[in-house]
Amino acid sequence: MTRTILVCCGTGCLANGSLEVADEFRRLIEARGADARVECQVKRTGCNGFCENGPIVKILPDDIIYYKVRRRDVQEIMDKTVAEGQAVERLLYRDDGGRPVLHQHENPFYAPQHKIALRNIGAIDPTRVEDYLEAGGYQALRMALEMTPAEIIEQVKRSGLRGRGGAGFPTWRKWQAAAEQENFPKYVACNGDEGDPGAFMDRSVLEGDPHTVLEGLAICALAIGAEEGFLYIRDEYGLAVRNITAAIADAERHGILGENVLGSGRRLKLSVVRGGGAFVCGEETALIASIEGSCGEPRPRPPFPAERGLFGQPTVLNNVETLANIPVILKDGGDAFAAVGTEGSKGTKVFALVGKVKRTGLVEIPMGATLRHLIFDIGGGIQNDRPFKAVQTGGPSGGCIPAHMLDLPVDFDTLKSHGAMMGSGGMIVMDDRSCMVEVARYYINFLAEESCGKCTPCREGLRKMLEILTDICEGRGQEGDIELLEELGHTLQDSCLCALGKTAPNPVLTTIQYFREEYEAHIREHRCPAGVCVKLTSFRIDGARCRGCTACARACPTGAISGGVKQPHVIDPAKCISCGSCREACRFDAVETEGREAV
Amino acid sequence: MTITIDGKICSCEKGEKLLAVARRNRIPIPTLCHHESLPGQASCRVCIVEVVQQGRSTVTSACVYPVEEGIQVYTNSDRIRRERGMILALLHKRAPDSRLIADMCRIYGAPELNRVSVSLPGKCILCGLCVRACAELSVGAISTVNRGVTKEIATPYHEPSAVCVGCGSCASVCPTGAIEVTETADTRTIWDKTFPLVRCARCGAPIGTREELDHAARKAGVERETLCEHCRRRSMTDVLAAAYGD
Ligand SMILES: Cc1cc2nc3c(=O)[nH]c(=O)nc-3n(C[C@H](O)[C@H](O)[C@H](O)COP(=O)(O)O)c2cc1C
Ligand code: SF4
Ligand code: SF4
Ligand code: SF4
Ligand code: FES
Repeated sequence: MTRTILVCCGTGCLANGSLEVADEFRRLIEARGADARVECQVKRTGCNGFCENGPIVKILPDDIIYYKVRRRDVQEIMDKTVAEGQAVERLLYRDDGGRPVLHQHENPFYAPQHKIALRNIGAIDPTRVEDYLEAGGYQALRMALEMTPAEIIEQVKRSGLRGRGGAGFPTWRKWQAAAEQENFPKYVACNGDEGDPGAFMDRSVLEGDPHTVLEGLAICALAIGAEEGFLYIRDEYGLAVRNITAAIADAERHGILGENVLGSGRRLKLSVVRGGGAFVCGEETALIASIEGSCGEPRPRPPFPAERGLFGQPTVLNNVETLANIPVILKDGGDAFAAVGTEGSKGTKVFALVGKVKRTGLVEIPMGATLRHLIFDIGGGIQNDRPFKAVQTGGPSGGCIPAHMLDLPVDFDTLKSHGAMMGSGGMIVMDDRSCMVEVARYYINFLAEESCGKCTPCREGLRKMLEILTDICEGRGQEGDIELLEELGHTLQDSCLCALGKTAPNPVLTTIQYFREEYEAHIREHRCPAGVCVKLTSFRIDGARCRGCTACARACPTGAISGGVKQPHVIDPAKCISCGSCREACRFDAVETEGREAV
Repeated sequence: MTITIDGKICSCEKGEKLLAVARRNRIPIPTLCHHESLPGQASCRVCIVEVVQQGRSTVTSACVYPVEEGIQVYTNSDRIRRERGMILALLHKRAPDSRLIADMCRIYGAPELNRVSVSLPGKCILCGLCVRACAELSVGAISTVNRGVTKEIATPYHEPSAVCVGCGSCASVCPTGAIEVTETADTRTIWDKTFPLVRCARCGAPIGTREELDHAARKAGVERETLCEHCRRRSMTDVLAAAYGD
């Protein structure tokens, strides 16, 4: 009997000590010597996407999956599971009803997922091209070599694939436009900049299944007639850079890429470029400038990169996740891919579900699933069962969707028509203790700092929007501010040079649209209804509900709370800094907020 | 092919920039960062216009937009007036000392924007033309530093530049006159550096800084110029006259 031990070594699990766990397995296996009844191999895999519960260990073929595994647990797993096929119950995940879950596909976080882009991640060792080949890798490239560019593009067209990098542009149209150019050389490039804070799907693919990305890029190169390509990877993504670089070298050694692609006589040279570090470098024209070695600032389009991109030559730039879908589309056919998803958005999308949900992580589900499904079924609902308030979709320049729209299907067009966007797939869930004005202020602050400053409306307009939002949050809001924010927002949407500025007003405009009364409460009543804005909130303990557990007093950083055990507690307003730590600490909802006179 | 701009039918060629077509037809569109010899800057956004194509309306900047058959362009619609006004108002906050911007605000009915603060005193609108001009001369003495609100145009570390040749090209392309150039009888000072002025060997008129003439000579692989343009042309005639014995 053979057992395989898969130890998740994505960035999240590594940070929680998964390398130690893997080494401990290896050590124990070696120590057992040759007389062991069970042969086993240890594999380090990419990210399973459920990082908050890492390190994650999977045992095959039993398909038993353990969470939060520590080095000290390894001996027991070896004795029980590897030797006997028995589960170690305390390491199993517990579902919403508290029942232990043995298999990954029964875990409520994974059960509804439909994996295409993430299909191999967590199942193969990303540093072994053999693993990828065994999983059917590079068959699609082999097929593509037998096809004409038009046939390849036809399959991508039938699949309905739209770019996963944010804009949702039909992938085939880009490829077609570049294929039609008679101007050589042409280039392909992969956008692995992933600048959205909180998003990590592209990192996960680059780290956990690098050959998929290379295969997708190689197929794109065949379709447009390119012989050279670049993978632009965010500088902080050290493991991704290492795995991709090693994968290119391996693929070349195996004759898959390089001077003679799979013996076809075709050439494809791929190389890695480390990102410039700014959010705007993810924008396609800025990214191209950055690869060329100049300052990563956007330039006007047209000409589009498909016509004049890298070094002035026709170039296709695709996102990591977009490319990860390509091998599947060629292998199973475009029609099979198009069978999943909605009318206008085919296939699946990977979301980074974070914020106030019980289960956070990477989730791949068919396009068109509802927000409710994502947040409540997969995410398990809101932490501490507080009310759901809103979800910010699409990263910093996405939009805030309110609770009454939870049944909205998630796809490119639906999100866009409601003022939000798909973006890279960020989903930040907020509960009733999130202030929507503060949320807007937070994102505008991020975007104002990341604006490259080239064009007037974005550089100057975002600063002014930030100034107004900060005033509102600090009690200096004025009548007319909401209208001025809208006016500035519409100007930016229309007149900015690149999509950073054009989409930057989304968080402001959607929070005004769906939570206008919250802005008004700040401005007119100097009150922050969510009790977040420090200068507009004072805290009070409701003596009737206080059980005197002392949790708040212990949490208060300034010692503003007094009261004996089992006695109602009191906050000294002179010492209170309105940080809200007491409210977070109280399990009886006894801490209340109210407005405060403006400064 | 033809397009219509504010209801006027204009003929043009494919790929031509909308701004050029409008100007040929005497339809005014304001610009700041557009310069004939440094096209494509597209940073100020005051040249925005509304383009309607197949019933869909988008806002775009005229200076870089290549025309397409049959589009209808509106340079002065409500939407454009409002947004252009807002952009000018923002520029006025950025460059409160610029007369040009203040005048444009008045002409184009920009809102007051008293609600928000002024960014910094000065005239620079950060269009980046000066940096392009200097780079185009392969000097590269100035660049944009920082991002966002702290962005500015400067020499490295705000020190007098080691490579600036004092040609003044940056100042001459600047739409708002933000770059200070002062000249005495025999010096020119720009970007905190003073250069000796060279005079024409024949008529004595100033012909540029020594560094500027050296730089031009090095680039062209010739001797440093000693004559002003006028005298150079005259001396050319003398040479020709001698050669043809006229
Ligand atoms: C400010 C900004 C940041 C962006 N960042 C990224 C990014 O990190 N990754 C990405 O794939 N696309 C990013 N994009 C979108 C790219 O410009 C481009 O549309 C995309 O890479 C194209 O690939 P796709 O068609 O496969 O989506 C960004 C766009 C903007 C405006
Ligand atoms: S919109 Fe913002 S990020 Fe984009 S070019 Fe203009 S200033 Fe730069
Ligand atoms: S004066 Fe100096 S900074 Fe200005 S363009 Fe000439 S060389 Fe460049
Ligand atoms: S100094 Fe003049 S040319 Fe240079 S960026 Fe400022 S406004 Fe533009
Ligand atoms: S003149 Fe067109 S953007 Fe400045």
